[in-house]
Amino acid sequence: MEQRRPRVTSVDLSVEFAGVRLRNPVMTASGTFASGREYADFIDLSRLGAVVTKGVSLEPWTGNESPRVAETASGMLNSIGLQNPGVEAFCARDLRWLSERDVPVVVNVSGHSPEEYARVVERLESEAGVAAYEVNISCPNVDEGGMAFGTSCAPAAAVTAAVRAVTKRPLIVKLSPNVTDITEIARAVEDAGADAVSLVNTLLGMAIDAETRRPRLARVVGGLSGPAIKPVALRMVWQVARAVAVPVIGVGGIMTGEDAVEFLLAGASAVQVGTANFVDPTSTMRVLDGLTEYCVRHGVARVSDLIGALEV
Amino acid sequence: MSCSDLDAGQHPLLERVEVLANERVAEGVGLLVLRSPRIAAAVAPGQFVHLRIAAGADFLLRRPFSVYRAHGDTIELLYQVLGRGTRELADHMRGDVMDAIGPLGRGWDVPEDAAHVLLVAGGLGAAPLGMLAERLAARGVAVSVAQGAPCAERLVARDLFESVARRVEVATDDGSAGEPGFVTVVSHRLLVTDRPDVVCVCGPEVMARAVAAQAAEAGVPCRVSLERLMACGIGACLSCVVTTVDGRKRACVDGPVFDAEEVCWDGAEAPPRH
Repeated sequence: MEQRRPRVTSVDLSVEFAGVRLRNPVMTASGTFASGREYADFIDLSRLGAVVTKGVSLEPWTGNESPRVAETASGMLNSIGLQNPGVEAFCARDLRWLSERDVPVVVNVSGHSPEEYARVVERLESEAGVAAYEVNISCPNVDEGGMAFGTSCAPAAAVTAAVRAVTKRPLIVKLSPNVTDITEIARAVEDAGADAVSLVNTLLGMAIDAETRRPRLARVVGGLSGPAIKPVALRMVWQVARAVAVPVIGVGGIMTGEDAVEFLLAGASAVQVGTANFVDPTSTMRVLDGLTEYCVRHGVARVSDLIGALEV
Repeated sequence: MSCSDLDAGQHPLLERVEVLANERVAEGVGLLVLRSPRIAAAVAPGQFVHLRIAAGADFLLRRPFSVYRAHGDTIELLYQVLGRGTRELADHMRGDVMDAIGPLGRGWDVPEDAAHVLLVAGGLGAAPLGMLAERLAARGVAVSVAQGAPCAERLVARDLFESVARRVEVATDDGSAGEPGFVTVVSHRLLVTDRPDVVCVCGPEVMARAVAAQAAEAGVPCRVSLERLMACGIGACLSCVVTTVDGRKRACVDGPVFDAEEVCWDGAEAPPRH
Protein backbone atom coordinates (compact mmCIF):
# COMPACT_ATOMS: atom_id res chain seq x y z
CA MET A 1 0.00 0.00 0.00
CA GLU A 2 2.71 2.50 0.93
CA GLN A 3 4.14 2.95 -2.56
CA ARG A 4 0.73 4.11 -3.70
CA ARG A 5 0.86 7.04 -1.30
CA PRO A 6 3.47 9.52 -2.50
CA ARG A 7 4.05 12.54 -0.27
CA VAL A 8 1.73 15.35 -1.29
CA THR A 9 2.44 18.91 -0.29
CA SER A 10 -0.40 20.58 -2.11
CA VAL A 11 -3.65 19.10 -3.30
CA ASP A 12 -5.29 20.18 -6.54
CA LEU A 13 -8.89 20.38 -5.38
CA SER A 14 -10.36 21.63 -8.63
CA VAL A 15 -12.91 19.60 -10.51
CA GLU A 16 -14.53 20.17 -13.85
CA PHE A 17 -17.94 19.03 -14.90
CA ALA A 18 -20.39 20.08 -17.57
CA GLY A 19 -17.93 22.72 -18.71
CA VAL A 20 -17.83 24.39 -15.30
CA ARG A 21 -14.51 24.52 -13.48
CA LEU A 22 -14.91 24.59 -9.70
CA ARG A 23 -12.10 25.45 -7.31
CA ASN A 24 -13.18 22.46 -5.26
CA PRO A 25 -15.99 19.89 -5.36
CA VAL A 26 -17.89 21.14 -2.29
CA MET A 27 -21.18 22.79 -3.18
CA THR A 28 -24.24 23.61 -1.11
CA ALA A 29 -27.49 21.69 -1.51
CA SER A 30 -30.51 23.64 -2.66
CA GLY A 31 -32.90 24.76 0.05
CA THR A 32 -30.40 24.45 2.88
CA PHE A 33 -28.36 27.55 2.16
CA ALA A 34 -30.94 30.13 0.96
CA SER A 35 -28.86 32.35 -1.31
CA GLY A 36 -25.85 32.29 0.96
CA ARG A 37 -26.37 35.61 2.70
CA GLU A 38 -27.29 34.02 6.05
CA TYR A 39 -24.12 31.92 6.00
CA ALA A 40 -21.75 34.76 5.17
CA ASP A 41 -21.68 35.52 8.92
CA PHE A 42 -20.03 32.14 9.48
CA ILE A 43 -17.97 31.21 6.42
CA ASP A 44 -16.12 32.76 3.49
CA LEU A 45 -18.43 31.95 0.58
CA SER A 46 -15.60 32.29 -1.91
CA ARG A 47 -14.05 29.10 -0.50
CA LEU A 48 -17.02 27.07 -1.76
CA GLY A 49 -16.95 25.13 -5.02
CA ALA A 50 -20.36 26.62 -5.81
CA VAL A 51 -23.49 27.92 -4.14
CA VAL A 52 -26.67 26.19 -5.24
CA THR A 53 -29.56 28.50 -4.47
CA LYS A 54 -32.94 27.77 -2.95
CA GLY A 55 -35.41 26.73 -5.66
CA VAL A 56 -36.87 29.63 -7.60
CA SER A 57 -40.16 29.62 -9.50
CA LEU A 58 -41.84 31.96 -11.96
CA GLU A 59 -44.27 33.45 -9.42
CA PRO A 60 -43.91 33.66 -5.63
CA TRP A 61 -44.78 30.39 -3.85
CA THR A 62 -46.01 30.57 -0.25
CA GLY A 63 -45.03 27.03 0.76
CA ASN A 64 -46.78 24.71 3.20
CA GLU A 65 -48.37 25.14 6.61
CA SER A 66 -46.35 24.73 9.85
CA PRO A 67 -44.94 22.62 11.39
CA ARG A 68 -42.63 22.18 8.44
CA VAL A 69 -39.80 20.29 10.10
CA ALA A 70 -39.33 17.28 12.37
CA GLU A 71 -36.22 15.62 13.70
CA THR A 72 -35.96 11.87 13.13
CA ALA A 73 -33.32 9.27 13.90
CA SER A 74 -30.06 10.60 12.40
CA GLY A 75 -32.04 12.85 10.12
CA MET A 76 -34.87 15.25 9.65
CA LEU A 77 -38.06 15.64 7.68
CA ASN A 78 -38.99 18.88 6.00
CA SER A 79 -42.06 20.03 4.13
CA ILE A 80 -41.20 23.63 3.30
CA GLY A 81 -42.92 23.38 -0.07
CA LEU A 82 -40.53 25.51 -2.16
CA GLN A 83 -41.52 28.82 -0.56
CA ASN A 84 -39.74 31.48 -2.59
CA PRO A 85 -40.37 35.05 -3.72
CA GLY A 86 -40.38 34.28 -7.46
CA VAL A 87 -37.72 34.81 -10.07
CA GLU A 88 -38.02 38.61 -10.32
CA ALA A 89 -37.46 39.17 -6.62
CA PHE A 90 -34.78 36.50 -6.64
CA CYS A 91 -32.83 38.32 -9.36
CA ALA A 92 -33.17 41.69 -7.64
CA ARG A 93 -32.44 40.64 -4.07
CA ASP A 94 -30.49 37.42 -4.07
CA LEU A 95 -28.71 36.94 -7.38
CA ARG A 96 -27.33 40.49 -7.45
CA TRP A 97 -25.89 40.03 -3.97
CA LEU A 98 -24.55 36.56 -4.65
CA SER A 99 -22.96 37.42 -7.99
CA GLU A 100 -20.66 39.86 -6.17
CA ARG A 101 -19.28 37.12 -3.92
CA ASP A 102 -16.63 35.47 -6.13
CA VAL A 103 -18.28 32.05 -6.10
CA PRO A 104 -19.98 30.20 -8.96
CA VAL A 105 -23.76 30.37 -8.64
CA VAL A 106 -25.99 27.46 -9.59
CA VAL A 107 -29.64 28.53 -9.67
CA ASN A 108 -32.10 25.82 -8.71
CA VAL A 109 -35.31 26.05 -10.74
CA SER A 110 -38.85 24.81 -10.04
CA GLY A 111 -42.12 24.93 -11.92
CA HIS A 112 -45.61 23.52 -12.35
CA SER A 113 -45.10 22.57 -15.99
CA PRO A 114 -42.21 22.14 -18.44
CA GLU A 115 -43.10 25.53 -19.93
CA GLU A 116 -42.94 27.18 -16.51
CA TYR A 117 -39.47 25.78 -15.82
CA ALA A 118 -38.38 27.11 -19.20
CA ARG A 119 -39.82 30.55 -18.50
CA VAL A 120 -37.87 30.82 -15.23
CA VAL A 121 -34.67 29.91 -17.06
CA GLU A 122 -35.47 32.36 -19.88
CA ARG A 123 -35.75 35.12 -17.32
CA LEU A 124 -32.42 34.10 -15.75
CA GLU A 125 -30.66 34.00 -19.13
CA SER A 126 -30.40 37.78 -19.08
CA GLU A 127 -28.56 37.69 -15.74
CA ALA A 128 -24.79 37.53 -15.90
CA GLY A 129 -24.04 35.83 -12.60
CA VAL A 130 -25.36 32.32 -13.34
CA ALA A 131 -22.80 29.53 -13.79
CA ALA A 132 -25.33 26.73 -14.24
CA TYR A 133 -28.91 25.69 -13.62
CA GLU A 134 -30.08 22.86 -11.45
CA VAL A 135 -33.57 21.74 -12.44
CA ASN A 136 -35.55 20.39 -9.50
CA ILE A 137 -37.79 17.53 -10.63
CA SER A 138 -37.63 15.87 -7.25
CA CYS A 139 -39.18 17.97 -4.49
CA PRO A 140 -41.58 15.71 -2.55
CA ASN A 141 -43.33 18.63 -0.83
CA VAL A 142 -45.51 20.11 -3.57
CA ASP A 143 -48.66 18.69 -5.13
CA GLU A 144 -47.90 19.82 -8.67
CA GLY A 145 -44.52 19.89 -10.29
CA GLY A 146 -41.59 18.85 -8.19
CA MET A 147 -41.36 15.11 -7.74
CA ALA A 148 -44.28 14.47 -10.10
CA PHE A 149 -41.86 15.20 -12.94
CA GLY A 150 -39.03 13.17 -11.51
CA THR A 151 -40.57 9.78 -10.89
CA SER A 152 -41.16 8.68 -14.46
CA CYS A 153 -39.05 9.03 -17.56
CA ALA A 154 -41.28 10.93 -19.99
CA PRO A 155 -42.08 13.94 -17.74
CA ALA A 156 -38.47 14.08 -16.53
CA ALA A 157 -37.29 14.22 -20.12
CA ALA A 158 -39.97 16.77 -21.03
CA VAL A 159 -38.85 19.23 -18.35
CA THR A 160 -35.19 18.71 -19.26
CA ALA A 161 -35.87 19.24 -22.96
CA ALA A 162 -37.97 22.36 -22.32
CA VAL A 163 -35.16 23.96 -20.33
CA ARG A 164 -32.48 22.69 -22.74
CA ALA A 165 -34.27 24.48 -25.56
CA VAL A 166 -33.85 27.91 -23.94
CA THR A 167 -30.29 27.80 -22.58
CA LYS A 168 -26.77 26.86 -23.56
CA ARG A 169 -25.62 27.18 -19.97
CA PRO A 170 -24.71 23.97 -18.13
CA LEU A 171 -27.86 22.14 -17.09
CA ILE A 172 -27.94 19.90 -14.03
CA VAL A 173 -31.07 17.86 -13.30
CA LYS A 174 -31.70 16.91 -9.67
CA LEU A 175 -33.12 13.43 -9.32
CA SER A 176 -35.55 11.90 -6.86
CA PRO A 177 -34.67 8.75 -4.92
CA ASN A 178 -38.38 7.90 -4.68
CA VAL A 179 -38.28 5.66 -7.74
CA THR A 180 -37.86 1.98 -8.52
CA ASP A 181 -34.87 2.43 -10.80
CA ILE A 182 -33.09 5.77 -10.68
CA THR A 183 -30.81 4.86 -13.59
CA GLU A 184 -33.80 4.92 -15.98
CA ILE A 185 -34.60 8.50 -15.02
CA ALA A 186 -30.94 9.47 -15.23
CA ARG A 187 -30.69 8.08 -18.75
CA ALA A 188 -33.91 9.81 -19.77
CA VAL A 189 -32.70 13.25 -18.69
CA GLU A 190 -29.26 12.62 -20.20
CA ASP A 191 -30.90 11.80 -23.53
CA ALA A 192 -33.03 14.96 -23.22
CA GLY A 193 -29.95 17.15 -22.93
CA ALA A 194 -28.87 17.30 -19.29
CA ASP A 195 -25.17 18.10 -18.83
CA ALA A 196 -25.06 16.57 -15.36
CA VAL A 197 -27.31 14.98 -12.75
CA SER A 198 -27.38 15.63 -9.02
CA LEU A 199 -28.75 13.07 -6.60
CA VAL A 200 -30.43 12.43 -4.34
CA ASN A 201 -33.19 14.78 -3.29
CA THR A 202 -34.99 13.84 -0.08
CA LEU A 203 -36.72 10.52 0.51
CA LEU A 204 -40.45 10.74 1.11
CA GLY A 205 -41.17 9.94 4.74
CA MET A 206 -43.35 10.75 7.72
CA ALA A 207 -43.21 11.06 11.49
CA ILE A 208 -45.98 10.63 14.03
CA ASP A 209 -46.34 11.95 17.58
CA ALA A 210 -47.77 8.96 19.43
CA GLU A 211 -48.75 11.14 22.44
CA THR A 212 -51.06 13.31 20.36
CA ARG A 213 -51.78 10.76 17.60
CA ARG A 214 -50.99 13.48 15.11
CA PRO A 215 -48.45 13.71 12.29
CA ARG A 216 -45.44 15.83 13.18
CA LEU A 217 -45.65 17.71 9.88
CA ALA A 218 -48.70 19.76 8.93
CA ARG A 219 -48.56 18.25 5.44
CA VAL A 220 -48.28 14.78 7.04
CA VAL A 221 -45.48 13.63 4.72
CA GLY A 222 -42.17 15.28 3.97
CA GLY A 223 -38.65 14.80 2.70
CA LEU A 224 -36.11 12.86 4.75
CA SER A 225 -32.52 14.12 4.74
CA GLY A 226 -29.37 13.90 6.83
CA PRO A 227 -27.01 11.04 7.73
CA ALA A 228 -29.93 8.58 7.75
CA ILE A 229 -30.14 8.67 3.95
CA LYS A 230 -26.42 8.55 3.13
CA PRO A 231 -26.26 4.82 2.38
CA VAL A 232 -29.20 5.13 -0.02
CA ALA A 233 -27.65 8.17 -1.72
CA LEU A 234 -24.27 6.46 -2.06
CA ARG A 235 -25.87 3.41 -3.63
CA MET A 236 -27.79 5.52 -6.14
CA VAL A 237 -24.76 7.66 -7.04
CA TRP A 238 -22.78 4.48 -7.64
CA GLN A 239 -25.56 3.03 -9.85
CA VAL A 240 -26.10 6.23 -11.85
CA ALA A 241 -22.39 6.93 -12.35
CA ARG A 242 -22.13 3.58 -14.11
CA ALA A 243 -25.29 4.14 -16.15
CA VAL A 244 -24.72 7.58 -17.68
CA ALA A 245 -21.85 9.39 -19.38
CA VAL A 246 -22.59 12.81 -17.87
CA PRO A 247 -21.08 13.80 -14.52
CA VAL A 248 -22.88 13.00 -11.28
CA ILE A 249 -23.11 15.29 -8.26
CA GLY A 250 -23.50 13.39 -5.00
CA VAL A 251 -25.79 14.62 -2.24
CA GLY A 252 -27.37 12.99 0.79
CA GLY A 253 -26.27 13.13 4.41
CA ILE A 254 -22.76 14.50 3.88
CA MET A 255 -21.49 15.80 7.23
CA THR A 256 -17.70 15.28 7.01
CA GLY A 257 -14.82 15.26 4.58
CA GLU A 258 -14.82 11.49 4.73
CA ASP A 259 -18.46 11.41 3.65
CA ALA A 260 -17.52 13.56 0.65
CA VAL A 261 -14.66 11.18 -0.21
CA GLU A 262 -17.09 8.27 -0.18
CA PHE A 263 -19.34 9.98 -2.73
CA LEU A 264 -16.37 10.79 -4.98
CA LEU A 265 -15.21 7.18 -4.79
CA ALA A 266 -18.72 6.04 -5.73
CA GLY A 267 -18.47 8.11 -8.88
CA ALA A 268 -19.54 11.66 -8.03
CA SER A 269 -17.59 14.53 -9.61
CA ALA A 270 -18.73 16.97 -6.95
CA VAL A 271 -20.80 16.89 -3.77
CA GLN A 272 -23.47 19.00 -2.13
CA VAL A 273 -23.72 19.61 1.60
CA GLY A 274 -27.29 20.11 2.79
CA THR A 275 -28.76 19.26 6.18
CA ALA A 276 -25.32 19.64 7.78
CA ASN A 277 -25.62 23.40 7.24
CA PHE A 278 -28.48 23.44 9.75
CA VAL A 279 -26.50 21.49 12.31
CA ASP A 280 -23.37 23.60 11.96
CA PRO A 281 -23.29 26.64 9.68
CA THR A 282 -19.58 26.04 9.06
CA SER A 283 -20.17 22.45 7.84
CA THR A 284 -19.16 23.15 4.24
CA MET A 285 -15.75 24.37 5.43
CA ARG A 286 -15.30 21.34 7.68
CA VAL A 287 -16.15 19.06 4.75
CA LEU A 288 -13.66 20.90 2.53
CA ASP A 289 -10.92 20.82 5.16
CA GLY A 290 -11.58 17.15 5.86
CA LEU A 291 -11.46 16.30 2.16
CA THR A 292 -8.14 18.13 1.79
CA GLU A 293 -6.73 16.43 4.84
CA TYR A 294 -7.78 13.04 3.46
CA CYS A 295 -6.00 13.73 0.18
CA VAL A 296 -2.81 14.75 1.99
CA ARG A 297 -2.97 11.69 4.23
CA HIS A 298 -3.52 9.36 1.27
CA GLY A 299 -1.08 10.99 -1.13
CA VAL A 300 -3.81 12.07 -3.53
CA ALA A 301 -2.40 14.96 -5.60
CA ARG A 302 -5.62 15.71 -7.47
CA VAL A 303 -9.00 15.32 -5.84
CA SER A 304 -10.38 14.39 -9.26
CA ASP A 305 -8.32 11.19 -9.02
CA LEU A 306 -10.81 10.03 -6.39
CA ILE A 307 -13.78 10.18 -8.74
CA GLY A 308 -15.03 6.67 -9.33
CA ALA A 309 -11.91 5.21 -7.71
CA LEU A 310 -13.90 2.73 -5.64
CA GLU A 311 -12.07 -0.59 -5.47
CA VAL A 312 -14.73 -3.27 -5.66
CA MET B 1 -34.55 50.19 24.82
CA SER B 2 -35.67 49.88 21.26
CA CYS B 3 -34.33 46.39 20.89
CA SER B 4 -34.79 46.36 17.15
CA ASP B 5 -32.20 49.14 16.97
CA LEU B 6 -29.80 47.03 18.95
CA ASP B 7 -30.40 44.14 16.59
CA ALA B 8 -29.76 46.13 13.43
CA GLY B 9 -26.58 44.94 11.79
CA GLN B 10 -25.95 42.39 14.49
CA HIS B 11 -24.10 39.27 13.41
CA PRO B 12 -24.75 35.98 15.17
CA LEU B 13 -21.83 34.28 16.89
CA LEU B 14 -20.89 30.63 17.07
CA GLU B 15 -19.64 30.03 20.60
CA ARG B 16 -18.54 27.06 22.69
CA VAL B 17 -20.53 27.34 25.90
CA GLU B 18 -19.90 25.60 29.21
CA VAL B 19 -22.58 24.43 31.62
CA LEU B 20 -22.07 26.18 34.97
CA ALA B 21 -25.29 24.86 36.49
CA ASN B 22 -28.32 22.90 35.40
CA GLU B 23 -30.99 22.68 38.05
CA ARG B 24 -34.62 21.70 38.32
CA VAL B 25 -36.67 24.73 39.29
CA ALA B 26 -40.12 23.15 39.06
CA GLU B 27 -41.76 19.94 37.91
CA GLY B 28 -40.45 19.42 34.37
CA VAL B 29 -38.71 22.80 34.24
CA GLY B 30 -34.94 23.36 34.25
CA LEU B 31 -32.69 26.38 34.56
CA LEU B 32 -29.47 26.14 32.58
CA VAL B 33 -26.63 28.54 33.38
CA LEU B 34 -24.02 28.76 30.65
CA ARG B 35 -20.66 30.48 30.47
CA SER B 36 -21.05 32.28 27.16
CA PRO B 37 -19.15 35.58 27.33
CA ARG B 38 -19.54 36.72 23.74
CA ILE B 39 -23.25 35.98 23.45
CA ALA B 40 -23.89 37.33 26.97
CA ALA B 41 -22.31 40.64 25.99
CA ALA B 42 -24.35 40.97 22.81
CA VAL B 43 -27.79 39.58 23.62
CA ALA B 44 -30.86 41.81 23.89
CA PRO B 45 -34.10 40.90 25.69
CA GLY B 46 -36.29 38.59 23.61
CA GLN B 47 -33.44 37.15 21.56
CA PHE B 48 -32.58 33.46 21.61
CA VAL B 49 -29.71 31.02 21.27
CA HIS B 50 -29.68 27.92 19.08
CA LEU B 51 -28.11 25.12 21.10
CA ARG B 52 -26.55 21.95 19.79
CA ILE B 53 -27.52 19.67 22.62
CA ALA B 54 -25.13 16.85 21.74
CA ALA B 55 -22.54 16.07 19.07
CA GLY B 56 -23.25 13.28 16.63
CA ALA B 57 -26.42 12.42 14.76
CA ASP B 58 -28.66 11.44 17.70
CA PHE B 59 -29.82 15.01 18.25
CA LEU B 60 -29.18 16.30 14.78
CA LEU B 61 -31.01 19.60 14.96
CA ARG B 62 -30.28 22.45 17.30
CA ARG B 63 -32.94 23.64 19.74
CA PRO B 64 -33.84 27.30 20.16
CA PHE B 65 -34.10 28.73 23.69
CA SER B 66 -34.94 32.28 24.72
CA VAL B 67 -32.32 33.90 26.87
CA TYR B 68 -33.92 34.33 30.28
CA ARG B 69 -31.15 36.40 31.87
CA ALA B 70 -27.67 37.59 30.89
CA HIS B 71 -25.14 38.84 33.41
CA GLY B 72 -21.40 39.25 32.96
CA ASP B 73 -20.09 36.13 31.23
CA THR B 74 -23.22 34.05 31.69
CA ILE B 75 -26.56 33.48 30.09
CA GLU B 76 -29.46 31.63 31.70
CA LEU B 77 -32.04 29.57 29.86
CA LEU B 78 -35.32 28.22 31.21
CA TYR B 79 -36.54 25.08 29.52
CA GLN B 80 -39.46 22.71 29.81
CA VAL B 81 -38.77 19.01 29.44
CA LEU B 82 -41.17 18.17 26.63
CA GLY B 83 -39.38 15.99 24.11
CA ARG B 84 -36.28 13.89 23.64
CA GLY B 85 -33.99 16.89 23.14
CA THR B 86 -35.00 18.63 26.34
CA ARG B 87 -34.81 15.31 28.23
CA GLU B 88 -31.21 15.03 27.05
CA LEU B 89 -30.57 18.64 28.02
CA ALA B 90 -31.84 17.96 31.53
CA ASP B 91 -29.05 15.38 31.95
CA HIS B 92 -26.27 17.85 31.18
CA MET B 93 -23.88 18.42 34.07
CA ARG B 94 -21.67 21.23 35.24
CA GLY B 95 -18.60 21.31 33.00
CA ASP B 96 -20.31 19.90 29.91
CA VAL B 97 -19.65 21.85 26.73
CA MET B 98 -22.08 22.52 23.89
CA ASP B 99 -22.04 24.90 21.02
CA ALA B 100 -24.45 27.77 20.65
CA ILE B 101 -25.33 30.20 17.91
CA GLY B 102 -26.55 33.55 19.13
CA PRO B 103 -27.80 36.03 19.81
CA LEU B 104 -30.51 35.37 17.23
CA GLY B 105 -33.73 37.04 16.22
CA ARG B 106 -35.41 40.35 16.80
CA GLY B 107 -36.08 40.99 20.46
CA TRP B 108 -38.69 43.10 22.23
CA ASP B 109 -39.28 46.44 20.59
CA VAL B 110 -40.24 48.76 23.44
CA PRO B 111 -40.33 52.44 22.46
CA GLU B 112 -37.87 54.73 24.23
CA ASP B 113 -40.69 56.86 25.64
CA ALA B 114 -42.65 53.99 27.21
CA ALA B 115 -43.12 54.71 30.94
CA HIS B 116 -45.16 51.65 31.90
CA VAL B 117 -44.92 48.20 30.34
CA LEU B 118 -47.16 45.22 31.06
CA LEU B 119 -45.58 41.79 30.68
CA VAL B 120 -47.92 38.84 30.25
CA ALA B 121 -46.33 35.44 30.80
CA GLY B 122 -47.98 32.06 30.35
CA GLY B 123 -46.04 29.04 31.62
CA LEU B 124 -42.54 28.97 30.12
CA GLY B 125 -43.47 32.15 28.29
CA ALA B 126 -41.86 33.82 31.28
CA ALA B 127 -38.44 32.94 29.84
CA PRO B 128 -37.98 35.72 27.27
CA LEU B 129 -39.57 38.24 29.65
CA GLY B 130 -37.12 37.89 32.55
CA MET B 131 -34.31 39.87 31.01
CA LEU B 132 -36.77 42.41 29.64
CA ALA B 133 -38.21 43.01 33.12
CA GLU B 134 -34.73 43.54 34.56
CA ARG B 135 -33.56 45.90 31.84
CA LEU B 136 -36.77 47.93 31.79
CA ALA B 137 -36.72 48.34 35.57
CA ALA B 138 -33.05 49.36 35.46
CA ARG B 139 -34.05 52.06 32.98
CA GLY B 140 -36.71 53.36 35.36
CA VAL B 141 -39.66 52.00 33.42
CA ALA B 142 -42.59 50.85 35.55
CA VAL B 143 -43.13 47.13 34.99
CA SER B 144 -46.34 45.24 35.69
CA VAL B 145 -46.56 41.49 35.30
CA ALA B 146 -49.51 39.20 34.72
CA GLN B 147 -48.32 35.63 35.09
CA GLY B 148 -50.12 32.34 34.69
CA ALA B 149 -49.16 28.70 35.12
CA PRO B 150 -50.78 25.34 35.85
CA CYS B 151 -49.86 25.57 39.56
CA ALA B 152 -47.89 27.74 42.01
CA GLU B 153 -44.68 25.74 41.60
CA ARG B 154 -44.69 26.35 37.84
CA LEU B 155 -44.78 30.15 38.21
CA VAL B 156 -41.17 30.21 37.05
CA ALA B 157 -39.34 33.53 37.25
CA ARG B 158 -41.89 34.81 39.77
CA ASP B 159 -39.11 35.82 42.18
CA LEU B 160 -37.36 37.79 39.48
CA PHE B 161 -40.57 39.53 38.49
CA GLU B 162 -41.41 40.38 42.11
CA SER B 163 -37.93 41.84 42.67
CA VAL B 164 -38.15 44.30 39.78
CA ALA B 165 -41.80 44.86 38.95
CA ARG B 166 -44.13 47.41 40.46
CA ARG B 167 -46.83 44.77 40.67
CA VAL B 168 -47.11 41.09 39.89
CA GLU B 169 -50.51 39.40 39.68
CA VAL B 170 -50.82 35.69 39.08
CA ALA B 171 -53.36 33.08 38.09
CA THR B 172 -53.06 29.31 38.28
CA ASP B 173 -55.17 26.60 36.72
CA ASP B 174 -55.54 24.82 40.09
CA GLY B 175 -55.86 27.95 42.21
CA SER B 176 -52.72 27.13 44.23
CA ALA B 177 -51.55 30.72 43.79
CA GLY B 178 -53.40 33.89 42.86
CA GLU B 179 -56.66 33.61 41.03
CA PRO B 180 -57.92 30.27 39.82
CA GLY B 181 -58.10 30.24 36.04
CA PHE B 182 -56.25 31.67 33.10
CA VAL B 183 -53.83 34.58 33.07
CA THR B 184 -56.06 36.30 30.54
CA VAL B 185 -58.40 37.31 33.37
CA VAL B 186 -55.51 39.08 35.10
CA SER B 187 -54.12 40.64 31.93
CA HIS B 188 -57.54 42.02 31.03
CA ARG B 189 -57.96 43.61 34.45
CA LEU B 190 -54.50 45.18 34.37
CA LEU B 191 -55.01 46.51 30.84
CA VAL B 192 -58.23 48.21 31.89
CA THR B 193 -57.38 49.43 35.41
CA ASP B 194 -53.67 50.18 35.09
CA ARG B 195 -53.22 51.03 31.44
CA PRO B 196 -49.67 50.38 30.17
CA ASP B 197 -47.98 52.04 27.19
CA VAL B 198 -47.03 48.67 25.70
CA VAL B 199 -47.89 45.00 26.36
CA CYS B 200 -45.28 42.28 25.83
CA VAL B 201 -46.67 38.74 25.71
CA CYS B 202 -45.23 35.26 25.60
CA GLY B 203 -46.99 31.99 26.24
CA PRO B 204 -49.15 29.41 24.53
CA GLU B 205 -50.34 30.79 21.21
CA VAL B 206 -54.04 30.71 22.14
CA MET B 207 -53.19 32.82 25.21
CA ALA B 208 -51.03 35.25 23.24
CA ARG B 209 -53.81 35.62 20.74
CA ALA B 210 -56.36 36.35 23.49
CA VAL B 211 -54.12 38.95 25.12
CA ALA B 212 -53.44 40.54 21.71
CA ALA B 213 -57.20 40.92 21.27
CA GLN B 214 -57.53 42.48 24.74
CA ALA B 215 -54.72 44.92 23.95
CA ALA B 216 -56.25 45.83 20.60
CA GLU B 217 -59.57 46.53 22.31
CA ALA B 218 -57.83 48.70 24.90
CA GLY B 219 -55.87 50.48 22.18
CA VAL B 220 -52.52 49.47 23.66
CA PRO B 221 -49.65 48.40 21.34
CA CYS B 222 -48.87 44.71 21.79
CA ARG B 223 -45.78 42.63 21.03
CA VAL B 224 -45.84 38.84 21.02
CA SER B 225 -42.97 36.37 21.10
CA LEU B 226 -43.88 33.30 19.05
CA GLU B 227 -42.39 29.83 19.13
CA ARG B 228 -41.85 27.60 16.12
CA LEU B 229 -39.92 24.45 15.37
CA MET B 230 -36.88 25.52 13.43
CA ALA B 231 -33.87 23.93 11.79
CA CYS B 232 -31.17 26.47 10.92
CA GLY B 233 -32.20 29.36 13.21
CA ILE B 234 -30.46 31.88 10.96
CA GLY B 235 -33.07 32.51 8.29
CA ALA B 236 -32.12 30.03 5.59
CA CYS B 237 -34.38 26.99 5.87
CA LEU B 238 -37.85 28.57 6.11
CA SER B 239 -39.02 25.99 8.66
CA CYS B 240 -40.24 28.45 11.30
CA VAL B 241 -42.59 30.65 9.34
CA VAL B 242 -45.29 32.79 10.92
CA THR B 243 -48.18 33.93 8.75
CA THR B 244 -48.43 37.72 8.84
CA VAL B 245 -50.35 40.39 6.98
CA ASP B 246 -47.18 40.80 4.87
CA GLY B 247 -46.94 37.10 4.04
CA ARG B 248 -44.99 34.35 5.73
CA LYS B 249 -42.11 35.60 7.85
CA ARG B 250 -39.35 33.71 9.62
CA ALA B 251 -39.65 33.49 13.41
CA CYS B 252 -35.86 33.14 13.68
CA VAL B 253 -34.82 36.40 12.02
CA ASP B 254 -38.00 38.45 11.45
CA GLY B 255 -39.17 37.42 14.96
CA PRO B 256 -39.50 35.74 17.38
CA VAL B 257 -41.07 38.99 18.61
CA PHE B 258 -43.75 40.33 16.29
CA ASP B 259 -46.13 43.24 16.46
CA ALA B 260 -49.40 41.52 17.38
CA GLU B 261 -51.25 43.45 14.68
CA GLU B 262 -49.16 41.90 11.91
CA VAL B 263 -49.81 38.29 13.01
CA CYS B 264 -52.55 36.29 11.28
CA TRP B 265 -53.78 34.18 14.16
CA ASP B 266 -55.94 31.69 12.31
CA GLY B 267 -54.61 28.23 12.86
CA ALA B 268 -52.75 29.13 16.04
CA GLU B 269 -50.02 26.59 16.59
CA ALA B 270 -49.90 23.84 19.14
CA PRO B 271 -46.71 24.18 21.19
CA PRO B 272 -43.66 22.55 19.61
CA ARG B 273 -42.44 19.46 21.44
CA HIS B 274 -38.68 19.42 21.19
